[in-house]
Amino acid sequence: MTEQIPVTVLTGYLGAGKTTLLNRVLSENHGKKFAVIVNEFGEIGIDSDLVVGADEEVFEMNNGCICCTVRGDLIRIIGGLLKRKGKFDAILVETTGLADPAPVAQTFFADEDVKRRTKLDSVLTVVDAKHVLQRLEDSPEAADQIAFADVLLLNKVDAVTPDELAAVERKLRAINPFVKIHRTERCAISLDKILDQGSFDLNRIVALKPEFLGDDHHHDHGEMKHYHDENMDSVSLSTAKPLDPGKFNTWINDVLMSKGPTILRAKGILNLADADARYVFQAVHMMSEGAFAGPWPAKDKRNSRLVFIGRELDAEALKLGFASCQMA
Amino acid sequence: MAESKGLSWALDAYVVGAAATPDSRYFVCSMGDGTVCVLDLTDAAAGFKTYDIHKGGSLCFAPDIEAGAHLTGGDDGKLIKVALDGATEIVADLGRKWIEHVTTHPETGFRAYASGKEAFVLGKKKGDDPRIIKLETSVGGLAINPKGKRLAITQYNNVNLYWLAAKEGLPQALTWKGSHLHVTWSPDGDYVVTTMQENALHGWRLSDGQHFRMEGYAAKIRSLSFAKRGQYLATGGADTVICWPFTGGGPMGKAPSEFGGILNGPPVTAVLAHPKLDAIAAGFEDGKVIVGQPGSTRVMPIVTPAKDQEPSAVSVLAWTPDGDRLLAGTEAGDVHVVDFRSLS
Repeated sequence: MTEQIPVTVLTGYLGAGKTTLLNRVLSENHGKKFAVIVNEFGEIGIDSDLVVGADEEVFEMNNGCICCTVRGDLIRIIGGLLKRKGKFDAILVETTGLADPAPVAQTFFADEDVKRRTKLDSVLTVVDAKHVLQRLEDSPEAADQIAFADVLLLNKVDAVTPDELAAVERKLRAINPFVKIHRTERCAISLDKILDQGSFDLNRIVALKPEFLGDDHHHDHGEMKHYHDENMDSVSLSTAKPLDPGKFNTWINDVLMSKGPTILRAKGILNLADADARYVFQAVHMMSEGAFAGPWPAKDKRNSRLVFIGRELDAEALKLGFASCQMA
Repeated sequence: MAESKGLSWALDAYVVGAAATPDSRYFVCSMGDGTVCVLDLTDAAAGFKTYDIHKGGSLCFAPDIEAGAHLTGGDDGKLIKVALDGATEIVADLGRKWIEHVTTHPETGFRAYASGKEAFVLGKKKGDDPRIIKLETSVGGLAINPKGKRLAITQYNNVNLYWLAAKEGLPQALTWKGSHLHVTWSPDGDYVVTTMQENALHGWRLSDGQHFRMEGYAAKIRSLSFAKRGQYLATGGADTVICWPFTGGGPMGKAPSEFGGILNGPPVTAVLAHPKLDAIAAGFEDGKVIVGQPGSTRVMPIVTPAKDQEPSAVSVLAWTPDGDRLLAGTEAGDVHVVDFRSLS
C-alpha cells in the first residue's frame, strides 16, 4: 500500500489570517515539510519551490450527480507534486475567501489518483473575531466555510471584548455545533492542534457530540437535537436501539440522493443489529463512505449517533426516518 | 528488484517521461527529482548518466525537434532543451508557473507547451516569440497530428484544434461535457480521442463530425496508443489491455478486443504500440510489463514484479524507433531496458 500524504484544507475569508498561518507553517521548525497550494502568492513570505499557485477550477463529474463537483486544478497540481517523492510530508491547500469547500473535499473522494496517494485530514477555517458576524451577513460562503470546518481558528480575539467574543462563539456554535474552536491572536497556536486531526478518517470518527456539551452524563433514550440558525441547520440523532442494516442503508441513501445538495457534512457511528463492530459513516453532499471500524469499547453504551449539517434541513423528517430504521 | 528480461536500474525518482533518439542509440528519461538520465545502448552496462536540470521536478517530456536533444518542462517554470551530453538551453521561462505539457513534431519543426490556461506554439524559426493561446480552463493535454499541421488542446468541456502555421484564428471546437485530459490522433489523422476525468474515452471522426464514447473502465485511463497502422487503439484503465477497432468505420457499436492481465487484477497504467510490428507493450499498476497482441492469448512477460517489493505503477514506456528495445519506468524509479533480439 502506498503511503498516503495527509492534506489539510485551509479556508476563511480575506483578512481572517490565513496568510499569517501559512507563513507560520512554512517558517516554523516543526519537523515536517509542507507543500503548500495557494490561490495567490501575494503575501507568502517564503520563496519555496514547494509553494504552488492554483486557479480555482470547479468541474462537474459526469455521473448524474449535480452536486458532485471537484477541483480540476487540485487534481492537476497534486498529481504534479506527487511526482516529487520524498520531498514533503504533508500538503496544505489554501482556498480563496469565496471558495466553496465542498468541491475541494470531494476531490479527495472522487479522483482515484488523488484518493490513492493522499488523504484529506481536515478542513481548517480561520475566522476573524471582529468581522465574522458582518461577513456572515454579507456572504453565504462564510457560513459554508464555518459549517464545513472540522477545526476553527477564532483569530484576532484581542480585537474584541470578552462579551463580544462570547457572542461570536455562540454564533459559530449555532452554525456548527461539532467543530473544535481554538481562540488565537495572530494565529498563534501549536500546530499539532490543527494538523493531523484525522477528521475524515473513518477509524477516527469515535466521538460525535456537540463540542460545547462536553461529556454528556444525561440519559440517552433516543433523541434528536436540532440547532437552527438563519445561516445553517444541524441535526443530531441518537438511539440506544440497534439499527436494521438494510433499512438504514436504504434510508440514508435516499436522504443523500434527495437532499444531498442541502447537506454539507454528515457523520455517524452506528450500532447495526447483529454486528459486533461499530459502523462509521460520513458524507459530503451526496458522496458518502462507510466501514466497520473495530469493536465498541467495552465501557461504552452502543448508542448510534448520526449528525447532519446543512441548509434547510427537515429535522422532523430525518428523525422519523432514523426512527424507522430502529429495531423494535 | 523485479525480475526483468533485460537490464534494470533503481533511479529512485518518479520516471516522468522517456524517449529514444531517432538513431535508436540512446534512451533518455526525465525524472520527478528534476534530473534527466541518458543511457547509451552501445554500452548499456555502464548505466544511466544523470544530469541535474530542474530546481524542482520534471512534469513533462518530449523529443526536441533537433535530433538527439529533448525537452523537459518543470515546476520551476522552465522548458529546457537537454542535449545527450547534458548541455542545456532554456527554451521558455514562465517564472512560478508550472510547465505541465509539451509535445513536438520534429519533421515540421513545431513545438507546443502549456501551463495552466495558456498554451504556446513555437515554429522552427529561431528567436520568434511563441504564439500564445489563452483558454478558458486549464490545459489537460496536447497532441500534434501526424502530418504536423494541427494541434489538439484538451480542456474542460472540449478539445480545440488549432492550425499550427496560423498566427491567430479561432480553433475548431469539439465539445463534450466533462474534463478532457490526454489526447491522441489516429495515424491517418481522421480520429481524435481523449481520456476523461471519468473512466471513459471520447472520440471524434473529423471527416464527418461523428463522435463516440467508450466506457466501462474500472480505473482512470492514464495512457492510450494507436497501433502503428491505426487498425486499433490500445488503452489502459482496465485489468486487461483494451483495444478498440478503428477499421471499417471506427469503434461505434463494436466490442473491443483485449489481452493480458488478471481478472480484477491491477489496472493497466501505460500502453505503447510497437513502432513497426502489430504488438503492444503494456505496463500495470503493480509494475508488471508485458508485450502482446489484441485477441491473442500469447503474451510475453517482460518485467515481473518481485513479491517482497512494494508495487509501483509503470509510468512510462518507450520503444527505440527500430523496435528492438523497450524501456519501462515506474513511479518508484525502477527502469528496465529489454533487447528483444536477445530474447528470440
